[in-house]
Amino acid sequence: MQTLSPNGDGVSVSNTSAQRPSTIAAYPRQSTIRAMFRRRIFGEIEPPRSRRWRYFRYACLALALLAVSFTAYLDFRVRSEFEGRRFALPARLYARPLELHAGLRVSQADVLDELRENNYREGRVEGDSGWYVRDGDRLLISVRPFRFWDGPQKTLLLRVDFDANGVSRVQDGQGLDLPLARLEPLTIGGIYPGNNQDRVLVRLSEVPKPLVQALISTEDRNFYSHHGYDLRGIARAAWSFVRGHGLQGGSTLTQQLVKNFFLTPERTIQRKATELVMAILLELHYGKDEILETYLNEIYLGQDRDRAIHGVGLGSLYYFGKTVDRLTLPEAALLVALVKGPGVYDPYRHPDRALERRNLVLREMRNTNAITPEEYMLTRSTSLGVNAKSGRGTSPHPAFVDLVYRHLRRDYDEADLRSEGLRIFTTLDPRAQNRAETVLERRLAQYDREKRFGERGIEGAVVITDSQTGEVEALVGGADPRFRGFNRALDAARPVGSLLKPAIYLTALSDPAHYTLVTPLDDGPFVWKSRGAPDWEPMNFDRQFHGSVPLRTAFAQSLNVATARLGTDIGIARVLGTLERLGIQREMPPYAATLLGALDLSPLEVAQMYQTIASGGFRAPLRAIREVTTADGRPLKRYPLAVEQAFAPEPVYLITAAMQGVVREGTGQGLKAWLPPEIAAAGKTGTTDEQRDAWFAGFTGDRLAVVWIGYDDNRAAQLTGAAAALPVWGEIVRSLSPEPLALPKPEGIENVRIDPASGLRADAGCDGSLELPFANGSAPVDRAPCSTAVGIAVENVKQTTKSWWQRLWGR
Amino acid sequence: MARRCAAVLAVFLSACASSPKFATVPPPPGSPFPQPSYTESPAIASLMRDARAASESGQPANAAALLERGLRIEPRNPRLWQELSRVRLDQKDYAQAESCAQRSSSWAGGDNALRFENWQLIARSREARGDAQGARAALDAADRLK
Repeated sequence: MQTLSPNGDGVSVSNTSAQRPSTIAAYPRQSTIRAMFRRRIFGEIEPPRSRRWRYFRYACLALALLAVSFTAYLDFRVRSEFEGRRFALPARLYARPLELHAGLRVSQADVLDELRENNYREGRVEGDSGWYVRDGDRLLISVRPFRFWDGPQKTLLLRVDFDANGVSRVQDGQGLDLPLARLEPLTIGGIYPGNNQDRVLVRLSEVPKPLVQALISTEDRNFYSHHGYDLRGIARAAWSFVRGHGLQGGSTLTQQLVKNFFLTPERTIQRKATELVMAILLELHYGKDEILETYLNEIYLGQDRDRAIHGVGLGSLYYFGKTVDRLTLPEAALLVALVKGPGVYDPYRHPDRALERRNLVLREMRNTNAITPEEYMLTRSTSLGVNAKSGRGTSPHPAFVDLVYRHLRRDYDEADLRSEGLRIFTTLDPRAQNRAETVLERRLAQYDREKRFGERGIEGAVVITDSQTGEVEALVGGADPRFRGFNRALDAARPVGSLLKPAIYLTALSDPAHYTLVTPLDDGPFVWKSRGAPDWEPMNFDRQFHGSVPLRTAFAQSLNVATARLGTDIGIARVLGTLERLGIQREMPPYAATLLGALDLSPLEVAQMYQTIASGGFRAPLRAIREVTTADGRPLKRYPLAVEQAFAPEPVYLITAAMQGVVREGTGQGLKAWLPPEIAAAGKTGTTDEQRDAWFAGFTGDRLAVVWIGYDDNRAAQLTGAAAALPVWGEIVRSLSPEPLALPKPEGIENVRIDPASGLRADAGCDGSLELPFANGSAPVDRAPCSTAVGIAVENVKQTTKSWWQRLWGR
Repeated sequence: MARRCAAVLAVFLSACASSPKFATVPPPPGSPFPQPSYTESPAIASLMRDARAASESGQPANAAALLERGLRIEPRNPRLWQELSRVRLDQKDYAQAESCAQRSSSWAGGDNALRFENWQLIARSREARGDAQGARAALDAADRLK
C-alpha cells in the first residue's frame, strides 16, 4: 500500500502490485452510510405537526429513496464495470527481426536505417540500451531486451563489422564471435479496438517513483488521504483562480478516472455530481494502489495520427522510446505535464508550452518536497528529449497489416484480435517494404505528372516475397502507401495478360517428347472456333505474324498467336490444371481466351503462382505470419514453413531458363538498365487489352516481386508491362542488392549447344551458338549446317516446317 | 554513286542478316545456371546444433522454428531441409517430411550420401502413411545411389 508520509519527504510506493483493500476496512464505512440513511428516514417516528409537514416528509422520503436507488445503481455500475473492466489491448504486429551474422548482405547504412526507425539513438548511454555508436566500418549496438516468440532475450551489446559485401563479423561486448544475433524487431502497427486506443499495460511496481510523485504533486496532492473528493483541493483551485493564476482542476485522480472511465465529457452540474458519487464509491471498494494503477494505464497522453496514445506504458515508448521503468525525472515530468492536455502541450507542435508545463510539474514536485531544490535546478534546464515524431498512426504499412489481419481472422475472433493484446510476429522486411513504397510512390507520381500512360490518377501495387520460403516481405496497396483503404495488392483482381504464359509453356515443356525450348511454333494466322462462343482470333502486340518461331523466342517475345495455338494444341484443361497446381485457387473460365490472360487475378495471387516456379516447382503457400503469442509471451500458434512438390524439377528448370530469356533477349530486356547480366533474373511482362494494365512478375535468387500498374476504373490507356511496370520492378529489386538466380540443375537435364538460326545442334564451327538446357534425350540430334563435325550430311536434316528464319525471309 | 549505293545496301543486308527479327543474346559468361553452393557457416551450424538439442529434449516445434530461421538465411542448404524433414517426421507430419526431403535432394547436387539419406526419410514417411509400395520404391531409389 502507499502512504503519504507526514514528514513531507514525499510519497513512498511499496513494490506490491495493486491489491484489493481489505473488506474489514471498507465495509464499516459503508454501513455507517447505511445507518445514517436509516436514522434520517425511519428514525423520526414522532407524529407530524401538520399535514404540510407530512407531505414534505413524504417528498423527502421519495427523494431520498430515489437518491438511494440511484446511488445503488451507480455502485453496481462502478463495481461491475471496474471489476470486469480489462483494458482492450490491440494485437501488436512486429516486423521480422534482423538477424545479424557474418556474410549477411546488408550494408551498414541499412542497419543504421533500421536502428533509427526503431528509435535507437546515436551515442553511448551507460546503464541503458537502445543506442549505437558508429566507428568507421564498425557499429556498436546496445540491443534492447525483447521477448521473442521462443523466449526473452536480455539486453545485448554487439560489435558488428562491415565490408563491401555486408556484415563481415559479429561479436559480443567482450569481443567474442557470435554466430548469430537477433535485433529487436520493429513494431509495424496493430489491430486496434474501435476507438483506436493504444496502450501498453504496466504494473504499478514498474512505474518509477518520480513519475508517481510528479503526478500526485501536480494533479492531486492529497490523493493518499482523501476519500475520492478533496475539499482542500477544490479550495486551493478556487483560491488560485481568485488570485488570477487561472483555472486549475479541483478534481482528484479518482474523479478524473471516473470521468474517463464511465462518463461522457460534457460539463454539467449533474454529471459533476454523478462523478463525485462514483468517485466516493470507487474509493469505498478499491484501494489507492488499484485506483492509481488503473489511472496510470488509462490516462490519455497524445495522438499519433489516428492512434490514441493511452497510459504511461505506451506514453514512455511513444515519446522516449523506452519502457516506463527507465524514465528519467524530467521525462516523467513531461508525461505528467501532458495529462492536463496532450494537444495543448504537445511537445512536437508546441515545444515551448510543453517545456513550460514540464517545469511547472518539476516546481510542484519541489514544493511538495518530492525532489530537492538542487534536483529541481538541475532538471529544469534539460531539453524535452523526445523521439523524432513517428507519425505512423495505427500502422505505417496499412496494406501489409490488412493482409496479416485477414490471415489472422481465419484463426481468431475479431474481438480477441482487438482486445487481447496478442503479439504477432510477421514476415515484413522493413527494408524491402520501405523501398517498395518509396519507388512505387515516386514512379506513379512521375507517370501522373508526365501523363505518360494516360490521365492522372494512375495506381499500382507491389508484392515482394522470399522466393524460397514464400514469406511475404513487402506489400504496397496503392500510390499512397499510408492510405488505409482499397488494398489493390489483395483486392484489385485484374486481367493478367501474358503473365499467364509461363503456365502454358510449363505445361508444354512437361512433355519433352513434343516440346523443347527450340521446338518451332507456328505464329501464322489463327482462328479458334468453339461451339456457343464467338470465334476467337488472337493478335500479336505488333499486329503481325511471325511464321515459324522457336518456342523460347515465342515466349521471350510474348507472341500471342503462337501461344494461343500452343495452348489449344496441348488443351485448355491441361493448362488450367497447371495453373491450379501453381497455386491459383480461383475458379477459371475454361475458354481459349483464358490462355491469353483473360483471367482476373490479384497481385498476391500472381505472386503465389510465380512463387511455385521460383522455388523449383515446390509450392509454398504465401505467409505473412510466423508466430502468435499471448500478451505475456505464451506461444499460441506457429505458422510453419510448408512446401509441396507440385512439378517435376525438369520442366520448372526449363521454364525458368525461358523466363531468363525474356529478360536477356525478350520483352523484359529493359531490366538491363537495372540489373547486371550475372543476376540472370527471370521474369515476364504482362499487358492487357487496350493497354489497361501493366504487369511485371519475376524473381532473382532470393526474392520474387510482382508489380501491377493501372487505373481503378479500368480505363483504356497506353500502359505496357515493359514501359510502366518493369522500371518499378527493376528499381525496387536493384535497391535490395539481389542474389543471382542459380537453380540446381536437376538430374534429368542436360545442356546442349544449339545453333540459334537452325535450332539444331551446334559445335565450334557455329558462331553465336547457345548452350540451352534440355530434358535428357530431347535435344535435337541433327547438326546445324554450320557444324564442322564430320559425317553428318546437311541434307539429312529432318524438318517438318521451314526454319523460322527461312519463313521470315520467305514472306 | 553506285559504289555508295552498294555500300549502303551491303550495310543494310548485313544488318538484316546478322539481326533477324528477334535478336538472340547469349547468356552471360559462365553457365546460366551455376551450381548452387552452400556453406556450413557458423550461423547455420549454431542453429542446427540448437535445433538438434531442441529435438532431443522433445521440443520439435522449437527445433522446426530454429531450422526455419536457418532456411531464411540459407534457403538452398540441403542439410537444413533434411533436418527439417527429420523434425517433421518426429512431429508425424509425414507429407511435409517427404516434401522437405525432396527439397533437400533438389539442392543436393552430387552429394549422393545426402540424397541416399533423403530417400530413406521419404521411405519412412511413406511407410508411416501406410504406403508400403511407395516406401519400397523410395528404398529402391536409395539403393541405386549406393
